[in-house]
Amino acid sequence: MLKKLRRALKMHRIFIAQDLKKLMEYKLDFLTGALGFIVYQTVNLLFLWIIFSSIPQLEGFSYDEILFIYGFSLIPKAIDHMFFDHLWNIGYWYIAKGEFDKYLTRPLNTYFTVVVEKFQVDAIGELVVGIALMASTVGKVNIHWSGLNVLLFIVAVIAATLIYTGIKTITAAIAFWTKRSGQVIQVFYMMNEFAKYPATIYNNAVKFLITYIIPFAFTAFYPASYFLRGDNPLFNIGGPVLAAAVLMTAGLLLWNKGVKAYESAGS
Amino acid sequence: MRRFLRIYLPFCKMGVQQMLAYRFNFIFFLVGEMLSSVVMYFVWLAVFNSSEGETFMGFSMTDMTVYLFVSFAVGYLTYSEGSYAVAEEIRDGSIAMRMIKPVRFDLPFLFQEIGSRSVTALIVIVPICTLVEVYRFAVTGAVVFNIVNFLLFLLSLVIAYLLSFYINVCYGFMAFFLKNLWGANVLKDAIISFLSGSKIPIAFMPAALQTVLNFLPFSSLSYTPVMIYMGMYDLVTIVQKLTLQLFWLAAFWGLSKLIWLQATKRLCVQGG
Amino acid sequence: MIYVENIRKEFKKTIKQPGLLGSFKSLFNPKTEKVVAVDDISFNVGKGEILGFIGPNGAGKSTVIKMLTGILTPTSGSCTINGQNPQKDRKKYVREIGVVFGQRTQLWWDLPLTETYAVLKEIYEVEDTAYKRKMAFLNEVLELDGFIKSPVRTLSLGQRMRADIAASLLHSPKVLFLDEPTIGLDIVVKDNIRKAIAAINAEEKTTVILTTHDLGDIETLSKRIVMIDKGRNVFEGTVSDLKESYGQMRQLNFELERAEELEKLDYKSRFNLSDDDIALKSDGLSCEVRFNSAHAPVSEVVSYTLATAKVSDISVKDADIEEIIRRLYQKGVEADA
Repeated sequence: MLKKLRRALKMHRIFIAQDLKKLMEYKLDFLTGALGFIVYQTVNLLFLWIIFSSIPQLEGFSYDEILFIYGFSLIPKAIDHMFFDHLWNIGYWYIAKGEFDKYLTRPLNTYFTVVVEKFQVDAIGELVVGIALMASTVGKVNIHWSGLNVLLFIVAVIAATLIYTGIKTITAAIAFWTKRSGQVIQVFYMMNEFAKYPATIYNNAVKFLITYIIPFAFTAFYPASYFLRGDNPLFNIGGPVLAAAVLMTAGLLLWNKGVKAYESAGS
Repeated sequence: MRRFLRIYLPFCKMGVQQMLAYRFNFIFFLVGEMLSSVVMYFVWLAVFNSSEGETFMGFSMTDMTVYLFVSFAVGYLTYSEGSYAVAEEIRDGSIAMRMIKPVRFDLPFLFQEIGSRSVTALIVIVPICTLVEVYRFAVTGAVVFNIVNFLLFLLSLVIAYLLSFYINVCYGFMAFFLKNLWGANVLKDAIISFLSGSKIPIAFMPAALQTVLNFLPFSSLSYTPVMIYMGMYDLVTIVQKLTLQLFWLAAFWGLSKLIWLQATKRLCVQGG
Repeated sequence: MIYVENIRKEFKKTIKQPGLLGSFKSLFNPKTEKVVAVDDISFNVGKGEILGFIGPNGAGKSTVIKMLTGILTPTSGSCTINGQNPQKDRKKYVREIGVVFGQRTQLWWDLPLTETYAVLKEIYEVEDTAYKRKMAFLNEVLELDGFIKSPVRTLSLGQRMRADIAASLLHSPKVLFLDEPTIGLDIVVKDNIRKAIAAINAEEKTTVILTTHDLGDIETLSKRIVMIDKGRNVFEGTVSDLKESYGQMRQLNFELERAEELEKLDYKSRFNLSDDDIALKSDGLSCEVRFNSAHAPVSEVVSYTLATAKVSDISVKDADIEEIIRRLYQKGVEADA
């Protein structure tokens, strides 16, 4: 088991090193990519800044608290983007073009082989903005950083990342039956837009949707509100963990079922 | 003119057919894109609930809702893939083929996109405008729709699309220097979403910034048609704004020609 | 070694219904039709043998290979390779096989070749010493040295094919599947690859299943061939059996200088050929004659043509697999009648 893990990590390292080397080769490209994400987020922040220049608080949340939630939302999104980006290609064209064949001729788990293949460096843009936002607001909001809370924070970020990954895995696996599912991944993925703001601003239908159906609210608002307000750790931290477990399990089961149903393309 | 149409009309037809063939993709894409407008709607609702007066910087919640959805529709319709098309050709080298054909380099792209955009226009404008008008009627109890205004809006929308196309074509030539076009497009779209006022109405920005943004080409892409639709401008202002739109269209059309000429020279020297 | 018995593969194909309403209908209640890609195919391959697996486009060759390599599951029938069922324990099974699909690479597009091999070494858990020995051997037969540091995307088609073949052999598989390994390559490169395959087969007694369009591949490499068409076996035997049974058809192409001279060329009575053994087609000045060289020697046909008419630009070709199959069918139809 340990040997297997070491082998897996070694493979992963080769791909990461290669993607980093490419980054050095195409510095300008990397900078535009990362800068693109930074500017995109900055525009959203300007929007918040303009709003808050005329209102003191939004539904009971101060400017700094909103920024904290916003920053929190970017971190799991960036980590998922960095390590699980290849799932998009599976949905968009790998299955439709029969490119998936090659994963089946290797003596490894197909999901693992797919995922390690790509390390998306561009995601650093989002990660930097997310961390910067949290770092700059953490002193201004009321958070008690005990050892337990730091641990819970790490757990929450990992769970939130896996919520993203789980949703992408489920929607990508649909392509095993429909050949292409890129648009489906896109629609569900876009729902993460709801995660950036407090879930309390939405009406009940939307709140229900993003809590229990496509649980993006657990990727930022609920865990962040535990750290900000200290209330209901079972729901606010346990929720993301449960959601991540359910989505990842469903995703991997669907994936394995899909691999069996896979019908290679043409010829 | 007849010859012109004979050459370019097939591209237009191809665009329409492509759009119809991929209509499901398109509808999914539309729904996905619409989500961020829905999010913004709720954010604005919260802003209005949290602020004291009925209006926020001169906009009522009704105005804001109309702004959000019309601006979404305008952004969607004026979106151009010209930069991808040009960049793709530069990358695979087929751009050299355009030099040996007696066809203008920009028009095949343009006509193909006009074909597909005219289908989207029908699917997007009609339902969104109907919903917006029904909503306005339900809230204010009065019919605000005005046919002259709507026609001026359509005119402004067409100019906005053409401008967007030529800005994108100019940007696409960046592919001579860059490989990561996806990243470059994220960067461009982010900048344009701010400068064009599609993210935040320009009227909400600090006064000095407003003056600059009103003059820059980007407000012509989205803000101008949306404001005309909303009836925020009087006739004189409308004429001024349309003139500015036309000025920028001419400027970017000229710039794209200039870059094309330079690129042609470069290709000849390097041998493609 | 390899036993394939009555395998069959059906696909479900959704029928597109016309119109917008139709596409909504097929979204929720898709109508499907059954397509039989492989109907009923059986064959065996012995250890260390190179089997030529041939057939025209769309015959079901790739589908069979995909079933044998565990990518697809047969609808019915069975295949056993090294005593294993490819679908049963895929991860264990694929350790013992190597696969090359000529139409697409299995290498990582952006990785330099050395890194690609390093990843594969980890994937297949190849020991250091075995890996070094194998690389030295592959380097020798496939001449990888010149491009081993380059990323796969920069390789030429021939280089990429050599790299792909090497990649499939790092873990010393017992069976090697080569699906169109020479497709799109020029003669010299084809020849190098054929030599390499022969060397690999000799080195470790690797069993090879080779699908191809190119009779040349088969003639230089395999003693035995299995030919399929429309998902069924149509021939099994040696290459010379095939040629003997189905005629040594050749194709002669030439340009006439004057179209009227076409009438003077009467191959049928000159060589006393039956209708089966001769076919003449012409399009203006260019002519195409297909004939059975067993009854009309190539040299005599050429000299008769040159003596009878004024001709420019003449060439003779071997009949391709499509031609042999076409004739195979004619015979089959006659035998039925």
